[in-house]
Amino acid sequence: MTTASLSGEVIVSFYAVASCLAPAITRPTVPFGVRVPPERASAPVIRQQRRAYYGRTAIIGACCIALVILLQDRGSWWLSRIILLAEIVADLGCFLIARNRIAAVKQAERWYAGHRQVVATDTSWRTDPPRFPVRWLIPALTVIAVTVLVGTLRYPHLPARVTAGGHLVPKSVVSVFGIVAAQLYVTAMWTGIMLIVYRSRPDIEAADAAGSTRRYRRFLAACTRAVLTLLALVDLTLLLPAELAGLPARRDRFGPAGTAVRGRPARPGRGLFPRGPRRIPATRRRPRRLWSGGGGRPGRRPLLEGRPDLRQP
Amino acid sequence: MLLSVEPDGPVPIYQQIRDRIVEAIAGGGQPAGSGLPSTRQLAVDLGVNFHTVNKGYDLLRQEGLLRIGRKSGAVVQRDAGSGPPRPDWVRDWTARLQTLLAEAAAQGLPAEDIVRHCREAIAAFTFPVDGESGPGPVGPP
Repeated sequence: MTTASLSGEVIVSFYAVASCLAPAITRPTVPFGVRVPPERASAPVIRQQRRAYYGRTAIIGACCIALVILLQDRGSWWLSRIILLAEIVADLGCFLIARNRIAAVKQAERWYAGHRQVVATDTSWRTDPPRFPVRWLIPALTVIAVTVLVGTLRYPHLPARVTAGGHLVPKSVVSVFGIVAAQLYVTAMWTGIMLIVYRSRPDIEAADAAGSTRRYRRFLAACTRAVLTLLALVDLTLLLPAELAGLPARRDRFGPAGTAVRGRPARPGRGLFPRGPRRIPATRRRPRRLWSGGGGRPGRRPLLEGRPDLRQP
Repeated sequence: MLLSVEPDGPVPIYQQIRDRIVEAIAGGGQPAGSGLPSTRQLAVDLGVNFHTVNKGYDLLRQEGLLRIGRKSGAVVQRDAGSGPPRPDWVRDWTARLQTLLAEAAAQGLPAEDIVRHCREAIAAFTFPVDGESGPGPVGPP
C-alpha cells in the first residue's frame, strides 16, 4: 500500500461518511435545501426521502471504498481520484433527487399557503458585533515564530544544497524560509475568511429570531476557535516534517526513494529530534507504476544501492 | 434589536422599519444614544432596497427620534426618559390615535375592550419614573 493509495482510501471514505451524514446536520426546516414550514419538518415525504438518501449514499460509499481497496495495487494513483469524482457526482445526484421530490410535494400541497413571509435581522450584529477571538491566533503565531527562530539558528549550519518542494536546491533565504511563507499564507488566508464570516449576514430564522441568533453566535464563536486551533496544527504540520526529516539530514541519504542507507549509523544531532534505528524516509516513496518494473519496491534495494550519489555533498 | 419585516405585507416596508424601531425605543431595546446599522447594512441584511431603509430612517429623523450623522451614523436621539414631546407632535399623535380608536369602535369593539387592549399594549413599554426629567423635547431643526 502506497501513500497515494492510502490517501485515496481515506479521502473516499471520508467523503462517503460526510455525504451520508450531511442531512443529519442541516437545519430541520431546510431539508435538502428546500425551506419548509416548521410544522412540516417531519412530513412523510421528507422522512421517506431522507431514508432513501441515507440508503443510496451508503451503497455508493461502500461500493467506492471497496473499489479503491480492490484497485489499490492494480491501477495508477489517479484511479482513486476518478472514483472520488464518481462518488461526488453520484451523491450529488442523490441529493438532487431528494430535493426535487420534496420541492414537488411542497409545491403541489401549497405548504406555505396561509403563511406570511417574514425577514428578520439582528441590528446589534452591526452596531455591537461579536469580538473576533484574537487570542486564539496566538498558538498559530507562536508556531510561526518558532519556525522562524529554528530556521534562523540553523541557517548558518545548513549544507549548500537543501530540499525545497521535493527537490534539492541551493541554500538561500527563499528556499529555507519557504515554510514560513506557507505558514503565513495559510494563517492569513483562514483568518481572513473567518473575519469575512464574522462580518457577513447572520443566519437567523424568522420563526425563532431570538433563539437562532443566540445559537448562531455560539456556533460562530466555537467554529472560529476550532479553525484557529486547526491553523496552529497545520502550521505545526508544516514545521515538523522539515525538522523531522531534517533539511541537512538528507545530505547523507541516497538510493531509491523511501529507503535508508544500510550499514551507516544515524548521525546524532541532526534534526529536531534524535532518530532511532528506523529512519524516516527522506522522500515520499513513489507509487508503483505498472511500467516501471517495480523500481520503488524495497525488495529491489540491493540492486540499486550501488548507484553513486549524484547529489553534491 | 431584532427587526423583522413582512416583504409581502400590506404595510410598506419603510413604514414597517420605522414602526419596529419606534417599538424598540419604547420598549427600552434602543435607548437614547444607541446606534443603528447604516442604511446600506440594514438593506443588505433585510434584503431590501437601500432607499427603502433610507426612507424609514428619514421618517424617524423627521419625528426627532433619530439623528443621522456622516461619521456617527444613525443614533437614537430620544427615548421615554428624554422628557415630554413637543406640543405640536402631541396634537398630531392625538389625531392619529383618534382615527385608530375610531376604527375599533366602527368595527363594534366595546369601549372596555379598547381600553384593555391599550393597557396590554403599553404594558410592554418603559416609562420614565415620576419626577425624572430628561434632556427635554428635541425636534428637527
